[in-house]
Amino acid sequence: MKTSAVFSAALSLLSLVSPSSAKSTTPAASPSTPPQVWKNANLVHIISVEKNYVKENINVLVENISKQPQDEYFLPLTADEASRIGGIEVKDRKNAQAGPFGVEVVELDPKSNTQYVRIKLPAALKAGAQQTLGISYYLLKAYKPLPASIKQDEQQFLSHSFSAYCPSAYTTSKQKTEVKLPSANIPDYTKLPGSGDVKEFPVKQGTKLTYGPFDEKPAGAFEPAQVRFEFNKPVSHVTELERDIEVSHWGGNVAFEERYTLIHRGANLSDQFNRVKWAQSVYYAPNTHALREMKFPLRVGSADPYYTDVIGNVSTSRFRSNKREALLEIKPRYPLFGGWKYPFTIGWNSDAKNFLRQTVNGGYILNVPFLEGPRQPEGIEYEQVQVRVTLPEGAENVKYSTAVPSSSITSDDIEVQKTFLDTIGRTVLVIKARNLVDELRERELIVSYDYPLSASLRKPFIVFGSAMTLFVSTWVLGNLNLKFTSK
Amino acid sequence: MSADTLQVLASAGKGESTRTILRFIILSLIAGAAIASRLFSVIRKCPLSAGSQLLSWQSRPSRRGQLSGLLRLSAFWAALLTAASFQVSRALFTNVGSPSLSQSCARAERQSRMVADNPLVDPWFNFRATKYLVANGFYKFWDWFDDRTWHPLGRVTGGTLYPGLMVTSGAIYHALRALTIPVDIRNICVLLAPAFSGLTAFAAYLLTNEMTPSPSAGLLAAIFMGIAPGYISRSVAGSYDNEAIAIFLLVFTFFLWIRALKQGSMLWGVLCALFYGYMVASWGGYAFITCLLPLHAFVLICMGRYSTRLYVAYTTWYALGTLASMQIPFVGFLPVKTSEHMPALGIFGFLQLLAFLDYVRSAIPSRQFQTFLWLFAGGTFGLGLAALVVATSAGFIAPWSGRFYSLWDTGYAKIHIPIIASVSEHQPTAWPAFFFDLNMLIWLFPAGVYLCFQNLADEHVFIVVYALFGSYFAGVMVRLMLTLTPVVCVAAAISASSLLDTYLNVKSPNAEEHPADDNTDGKKSGKTGLKSTSKPVVGIYGWLSKGTVAGAMTVYLLLFVMHCTWVTSNAYSSPSVVLASRMPDGSQHIIDDYREAYQWLRQNTKEDAKIMSWWDYGYQIGGMADRPTLVDNNTWNNTHIATVGKAMSSREEVSYPIMRQHEVDYVLVVFGGLLGYSGDDINKFLWMVRIAEGIWPDEVKEREFFTPRGEYRVDGEATETMKNSLMYKMSYYNYNSLFPPGQAQDRVRQSRLPEVGPSLSTIEEAFTSENWIIRIYKVKDLDNFGRDHASAAAFDRGLKKKKAAKKRGPRQLRVD
Amino acid sequence: MRWLPAFVSALCATGTLAAKKSTEQRFNEFHTKSLASTPVKLLDANYRELTSTPRDYTAAILLTALDARFGCQLCREFQPEWDLLSKSWIKGDKAGESRLVLATLDFSDGREIFMSLGLQTAPVLFLFPPTTGPHAAASPEPIRYDFVNGPQSAEQIHAWLSRHLPDRPHPPVKRPINWIKWIFTTVMLSGTVTAAVVAWPYVLPIIQNRNVWAAISLISILLFTSGHMFNRIRGVPYVSGDGRGGISYFASGFQNQYGMETQIVAAMYGVLSFAAIALTIKVPRIADPKAQSVAVLAWGGALFLMYSFLLSIFRVKNAGYPFALPPFM
Repeated sequence: MKTSAVFSAALSLLSLVSPSSAKSTTPAASPSTPPQVWKNANLVHIISVEKNYVKENINVLVENISKQPQDEYFLPLTADEASRIGGIEVKDRKNAQAGPFGVEVVELDPKSNTQYVRIKLPAALKAGAQQTLGISYYLLKAYKPLPASIKQDEQQFLSHSFSAYCPSAYTTSKQKTEVKLPSANIPDYTKLPGSGDVKEFPVKQGTKLTYGPFDEKPAGAFEPAQVRFEFNKPVSHVTELERDIEVSHWGGNVAFEERYTLIHRGANLSDQFNRVKWAQSVYYAPNTHALREMKFPLRVGSADPYYTDVIGNVSTSRFRSNKREALLEIKPRYPLFGGWKYPFTIGWNSDAKNFLRQTVNGGYILNVPFLEGPRQPEGIEYEQVQVRVTLPEGAENVKYSTAVPSSSITSDDIEVQKTFLDTIGRTVLVIKARNLVDELRERELIVSYDYPLSASLRKPFIVFGSAMTLFVSTWVLGNLNLKFTSK
Repeated sequence: MSADTLQVLASAGKGESTRTILRFIILSLIAGAAIASRLFSVIRKCPLSAGSQLLSWQSRPSRRGQLSGLLRLSAFWAALLTAASFQVSRALFTNVGSPSLSQSCARAERQSRMVADNPLVDPWFNFRATKYLVANGFYKFWDWFDDRTWHPLGRVTGGTLYPGLMVTSGAIYHALRALTIPVDIRNICVLLAPAFSGLTAFAAYLLTNEMTPSPSAGLLAAIFMGIAPGYISRSVAGSYDNEAIAIFLLVFTFFLWIRALKQGSMLWGVLCALFYGYMVASWGGYAFITCLLPLHAFVLICMGRYSTRLYVAYTTWYALGTLASMQIPFVGFLPVKTSEHMPALGIFGFLQLLAFLDYVRSAIPSRQFQTFLWLFAGGTFGLGLAALVVATSAGFIAPWSGRFYSLWDTGYAKIHIPIIASVSEHQPTAWPAFFFDLNMLIWLFPAGVYLCFQNLADEHVFIVVYALFGSYFAGVMVRLMLTLTPVVCVAAAISASSLLDTYLNVKSPNAEEHPADDNTDGKKSGKTGLKSTSKPVVGIYGWLSKGTVAGAMTVYLLLFVMHCTWVTSNAYSSPSVVLASRMPDGSQHIIDDYREAYQWLRQNTKEDAKIMSWWDYGYQIGGMADRPTLVDNNTWNNTHIATVGKAMSSREEVSYPIMRQHEVDYVLVVFGGLLGYSGDDINKFLWMVRIAEGIWPDEVKEREFFTPRGEYRVDGEATETMKNSLMYKMSYYNYNSLFPPGQAQDRVRQSRLPEVGPSLSTIEEAFTSENWIIRIYKVKDLDNFGRDHASAAAFDRGLKKKKAAKKRGPRQLRVD
Repeated sequence: MRWLPAFVSALCATGTLAAKKSTEQRFNEFHTKSLASTPVKLLDANYRELTSTPRDYTAAILLTALDARFGCQLCREFQPEWDLLSKSWIKGDKAGESRLVLATLDFSDGREIFMSLGLQTAPVLFLFPPTTGPHAAASPEPIRYDFVNGPQSAEQIHAWLSRHLPDRPHPPVKRPINWIKWIFTTVMLSGTVTAAVVAWPYVLPIIQNRNVWAAISLISILLFTSGHMFNRIRGVPYVSGDGRGGISYFASGFQNQYGMETQIVAAMYGVLSFAAIALTIKVPRIADPKAQSVAVLAWGGALFLMYSFLLSIFRVKNAGYPFALPPFM
């Protein structure tokens, strides 16, 4: 208690002297750690574990304590987190109009375990000025089931470990950490000595735990904390999602197909699956940690859905389609328990005019959702996502822009695919992204391309021509006289 | 298509070319309809349009005024047929279809439901083999050793299957790929059978045209072939089985044979031989051709109809065909070793002899010499026969193979090869089955055969022989209804067409002058001709009689169409892996337990987990669950199957070592008790027992599964052996916990089960499908404390005391 | 007179001796008996003696009921096979190395035995394993052979025996050649041949007559397609009585049939196809218009009626078959 106070005091002293030293170092900013040019005047860290992924919000009031304007703010991560983080977005809390913040994960020092999110401010902040940043991101695969294996009708508990002090590369003078939990049933969580009038952290109100407010903490201060909470819902995790969007101008149709590799990351069954218990639980204890069904709210006007897996059509599904909604409800062939896998495929068609329109200068613009996963109360997370937009044969200068955070897009390129009597093959735009969650569904993907008339007429002509050649050749062959003796 | 049809009709008079064009168009329509009728289970919109096309062009009176009788007929038939196909298909569709998604024509839906819903099990293996072929190429497929079946033996699959089917679809696949059509091999496999059914209709047309001058007979035959339930049963989309292409090959080979025989041309003989080779590569039923053609030749010879045509056709066919057939590893040297091929060889030799004698006779025209020669010929034939018998008995020539032999001595299979007897397809055919599969044709068929006697040319002899042969086999085995259907269609078409030609003839004769007709050749020979055809043909006078008969025939044909619709929708479109049932409110409910369980196995067990189940499910598990199995539907190793049967029918203590030795990880049983699904393992259990008893007569005894009063029961009265058998325990384990105590009810056996259900110690329940149809058990590993499983399980159940008492013997020994 | 007591005593001695003879003696005794006549016919007494322990030999005892009173068909069918087996066994094993005694106990001789064994069915074959000696089995309990599927051939029983008598000689079953059969067949064969040769000129026209062949083939086709083979294979009854004392000509159910039924069906098919033939061939050849139209109506009517009747019968067989023609709706 006392020692820590002393320690912190010392740190504060150090931080006081730091600017002077920083002045000398800033020109040659050592790559290993970001320069100490900021101070977090006030910071509120919200960790919400309500869904089966972690959503973190860092609202921080940053102050430029260096002498010259700065436009780069760094957020430290462990390498492990860096592989699981996704959907990083930064806003200016004060004015939403503030231009786009450049966000990317950088590795200043390959040797160290720490990596950084570099946030480029739209406008450099002059010395002493302050700005309120709202940084939000998701962490996937964040939980461990504890106990790791439970009975079929037991409650599932997950544990999540984090740092009571918000990870920061800068001195933080005032901060607090809030943990939002899905239920009030929290068997155990880390307790910390309180400060001020609160004698013990965290303060627990309802489904919320609050650590802090803490007084000034130095850069990189870390206080391990852990919380174990009841999460009696499936921890559904999509290791890979392949999403194909095929545009057909002749057919006036846009065909969607999505292939999911779904796995339940929750607690395994401690003993074998028991059908009797399950049948009873369906009636008596409907809330279970097994995944029973998924709802896909599709765009209105979607038609001809299908739901199959590797051994064929799955008959347990319902599709409700009307003016207002097109809801596809599918059940896996078997209830999905912890550690069980279920890969499946769904697909549907939609009228092209819902997504495709022609610009004044003859080009086309396709506007489709980047991601249309199921909408589940407990959420769902996607580790790898691959979107393939197949444009008609001969489509050229393809450009795209998406509202999905750019830090999640790992790669994009143009391929060529030959199908259905193609001669030069179709243009395919392949976008790979990672670490997305279902909150990002409906983020739109806009693809613009040119499609000249000649390209659209190519195939009919070729088919017609080849058919004609075939007929003519058969006719000629038929008239040949192959007999040896002409009788 | 309808558009250009109309063009042709409009432009055309009654030129021969027009007729051919029209005939061709109609034929293609028939083939198309035949195909479509098998596709309805998947595609819905398309056949509707096809139907409307045909009907629309048929309902053009102005056009029809100009058409010849043939055209009128064919138009009527085509329309009728399309209606037929339409109905058949609709019926098919309404029957298979998943509640929500059936609305979609989506390709994935198509492929998936189809292969899933085939009425048989073999398609799963064929599909798997085809995938292997497409993936690894032909030569690897040729020597494919499959270690995922018959664990731990494995199976030399490449050498023990008929590759024709797989190679066909593989070739189609690569051809389409070359055209950059991205078709999934699965789709090809699903749609292969319907496509070939269209070809079969075409082949039937050709074959019939060889038989009769009447041009409409061929079309009729094509129609009958197209919608006869006996053939639809094996060619609905998704029944990806050898028969799918074999029947086409059968009919086409026969056509080529007739053509070769009539023209005595070597070219057609060669073609016949090639298609025969294809047939051999495709189906074990090729032996049917191998026996039928020699028989035909023999009958012709006995009728004194030996001719150089016969000689050329037969020798060409036999020499090349046998060589071709020996290229198939599975067949190998059978054509010269086994006795089902001996007739062909014998006739071959006999023909050589006859040719020689014929030559000599032409050289030396002396009567006694001829008679001597004939005696000589007969003698040699007899000698050859005797030699054959001796060779067979001495074992130089293998006797009839079991399946084949069971066709002759029909009691044979029951005693010697219970596996064959256990297959439902190998049961004899009761008469309702005949009427069910070919309703009106069954009585048109003899009439057609009789008409063949009218002018008994060589090809007609063939039809007669085929009819006798085929109807005998069809009577012996339900399955061989398939080989009977073509000849029934042909003969029925002949009779129906001649009937209709007679009564739809526009011009009536007037009483005084009797116009001579062309088909009175029957009457020229009073002795050999038919008695009924001695008088000249006059024709039909009154319109009334014409109208009556034509009308009646129309009614019968419409009835036939409706019958086919009904049969196809009720019998042949109900898949084996997906059971459709009606909910109380009439809505359809799909029971999909098989695929549920197989998918569970596929996803949540380790890649090489060995599954033990009865052999009926081997192919399905291999195909859908993709897991190694102990036995499967290719029942090449009786002992292995008997081992499984023993494990299923013995006590746990006996079965456990067996399962350990075979590294079994999971055991799968099918249990219909909850749903009233009668095709479950308890009902098949006796076959397992019998087959096991065949190998271990001392350890497994069928009698012990019957109550003293000789009943086969599963309730409280069941024998101890029954109650302790692994199969019984696995089927009813934990079952009565579904019911209030003492109320457990088996809905298949209609019996109440004992109060306390069986308890398992060496295996544990791993998965049970939604309706309990499939139950999967995990074989426990050895106990950690080295206890035997019984006591371990007893300990877990907290029954330690009682168990201990039982183990330590009588109570008074435990005084100390 | 003085012999008598001695004789009696001797008898007694032998009797007492017989009472407790060593297993060796017993085997020799039964073996000699079986050499004389095999299988040894047992009575109660020597059944017990034979099966009494300890024994160092194997006893295969067939408990059967040959007497006509019991009407045991199976017993009578199996008996010759059993005799044949035992004969050939004993012939092959005169010295008795296999230490096997084959015996028969008829119900009329050994009623009590049957009772004590609690046998309801006959025949039953018991194999009493040796309890002492080299081949001693664990339990003296006899092994039972069940005649589950029909009468067994001597070879099957032989296989069973040899399975249970390891490492001992198994004299094979030798079936005597059935000379009578051979002679009979040869005579018949030659007879038929000569008959054929003699009758050839008369038979030839019949053979060459097309109508005959047509009739033959049509009849056989009708037989086959009306499920004759099913009757042959399954051995179905010709007709069977329904519950109420009447006769039911049609078996219920799609999958089975009676003999009579198939004949009726064949007849119907015959009528139908003959009507079709008549309409096709005969009618157009009738020169007189009136007669022709009458014939058309007659045949057409017959066809129609018969078909409708056929449909109605099929509806009986297959409940829920929706189609029908008047008048048999």
